[in-house]
Amino acid sequence: MEVGRLPISAALKGKLVSAGYTSLSLLSSLSPSHLARGAQTAWDMLHEEELLTRITTSSVDIDNILGGGISCRDVTEIGGVPGIGKTQLGIQLAVNVQLPIHCGGLGGKAIYIDTEGSFMVERVLQIAEACSNDMSATNTVSQDVHAGKVGMQPRDFLENILYFRVCSYTEQIALINYLDKFISEHRDVKIVIIDSITFHFRQDFDMALRTRLLGGMALKLMKLAKKFCLAVVLLNQVTTKYAEGSFQLTLALGDSWSHACTNRIILYWNGNERYAYIDKSPSLRSASAPYAVTAKGIRNSVSNCKRIKLM
Amino acid sequence: MVSESMGSSIGQFSRWDGLHRPWSNGVELMEDAQKNKHVLSTGCEGMDFLLRGGLHKGQVTELAGPSSSGKTQFCLLTASTVAYKHMGGVIYLDTGNSFSAKRIAQFLNQISRPAFDEMQPIVLQKVMNSILCQSVFDIFSMFDVLHCLESKLKSQMCRGDNDEILIIIDSISSLITPILGSSGSQGRALMVSAMSLLKKLAHEYNLAVLVTNHTVGGDGGIPKPALGESWKTLTHVRLLLSRDCGSDTYHVSLLKHPSAASGKAAKFIINN
Repeated sequence: MEVGRLPISAALKGKLVSAGYTSLSLLSSLSPSHLARGAQTAWDMLHEEELLTRITTSSVDIDNILGGGISCRDVTEIGGVPGIGKTQLGIQLAVNVQLPIHCGGLGGKAIYIDTEGSFMVERVLQIAEACSNDMSATNTVSQDVHAGKVGMQPRDFLENILYFRVCSYTEQIALINYLDKFISEHRDVKIVIIDSITFHFRQDFDMALRTRLLGGMALKLMKLAKKFCLAVVLLNQVTTKYAEGSFQLTLALGDSWSHACTNRIILYWNGNERYAYIDKSPSLRSASAPYAVTAKGIRNSVSNCKRIKLM
Repeated sequence: MVSESMGSSIGQFSRWDGLHRPWSNGVELMEDAQKNKHVLSTGCEGMDFLLRGGLHKGQVTELAGPSSSGKTQFCLLTASTVAYKHMGGVIYLDTGNSFSAKRIAQFLNQISRPAFDEMQPIVLQKVMNSILCQSVFDIFSMFDVLHCLESKLKSQMCRGDNDEILIIIDSISSLITPILGSSGSQGRALMVSAMSLLKKLAHEYNLAVLVTNHTVGGDGGIPKPALGESWKTLTHVRLLLSRDCGSDTYHVSLLKHPSAASGKAAKFIINN
């Protein structure tokens, strides 16, 4: 390997080259390594994909279009206008991930990274109480009761949400870098929610620097999702874009960021109803489903004319 | 001071013994092109027509497009087609956790028997075992993987069996964007270095290479491929992809090709 391709600083590379070391073989003896390290065949991945469980969103319609819920090993971006329910959905997922597998969760903890300060702990308690009540209502004769275990209490739900508050973009990047070590020590974390990913990058930024930082951040989040097999959910704001002669609503952070997620869900208003639309996915069809934000959290919409639209 | 690689390259030209000369003449190239299969069909007729047959071995093809325009779908379709029809090995480097084995299985069922039952599990397993997927999350790991691949291909070539015929990197722009543009030209140097390594692998081991790129806003709001001016010269074939909002119809236009007129466009449908 040439010295120019090594991950070291330019100054160090210059020194090595001027001293006569232009390739790695001159520095040490190379041993051949195999490609098999880290690579998997598509057949093995097919079986792994079938075994991956998903996190329910508590709305059956949204779960259906998502193929069961939010999937692990994916970075899912959820965007929408203010007030559509992004934070509500984030909180619902932070609670739902703690449910046992037979109830649609993963039995794990949640990391909630708040950049705007929109995390209201009283609301989380309300959603956790509703979740706990729903669980005990449906599991009257369940394995837990047989085993003598008490159902999950709202306080347990709160205990398993690990909350970080970041106040600047440097803190945000530092935290995402730190997450690798943190999650290695807390292996039961199964979801990382960032609300919202855009806030600190929208004001007063040199565009070239922003593109580089966001690109690096996206790759780190992808690596986290894959390495620890957890779900990463990014909540994003909307902005207007001038295209084809008119102003359109589009997700913030520009074109280069729009490639940084595996799946994208857009939340929008249709008349008086809230809808979720799958905008980008490697394996799901484009579809939209209605949902509602109730006192108990995210639930199915109960209007008369609801239907799932396949695009 | 002459480095060892320069020394060996010079030696290659000065040491030939009249039997294995380091140059070929036009007739030999023509006969080779006609006799050997140098073109890999992508599985999509519109794309194959535009590319004059498909992906050419020894060349790097770039597919650029805005988000959700079908680049990953096209990469998965091409991987399935090459693995099934050409019986070759595919190396898929995935930077965005977008490789979906389920979708590959769906494409394979479509390709093999469009109207009948699903593919036999044994055949499906054999074909899917020839598609290797590796996640890479930074450009240095990509160099690592490519160097491992190079030593593997070198030892295979000595033994005489060459399995791999296609490398797909989806997407190379997400690896290059974080390093491009900072002070100093180190980012651009790494980008050029990466592409020269890919071209070398493509030429020496007779592989086709497909890379995807995203787009940025150009003049008048029309998307143009990202990665800047110097990137434009680094790939052999350049395609621009777009999709009508909410539909299954894709539009692709040819920006650059060594043997076809640019500006041609095609339309095709990839459905479920």
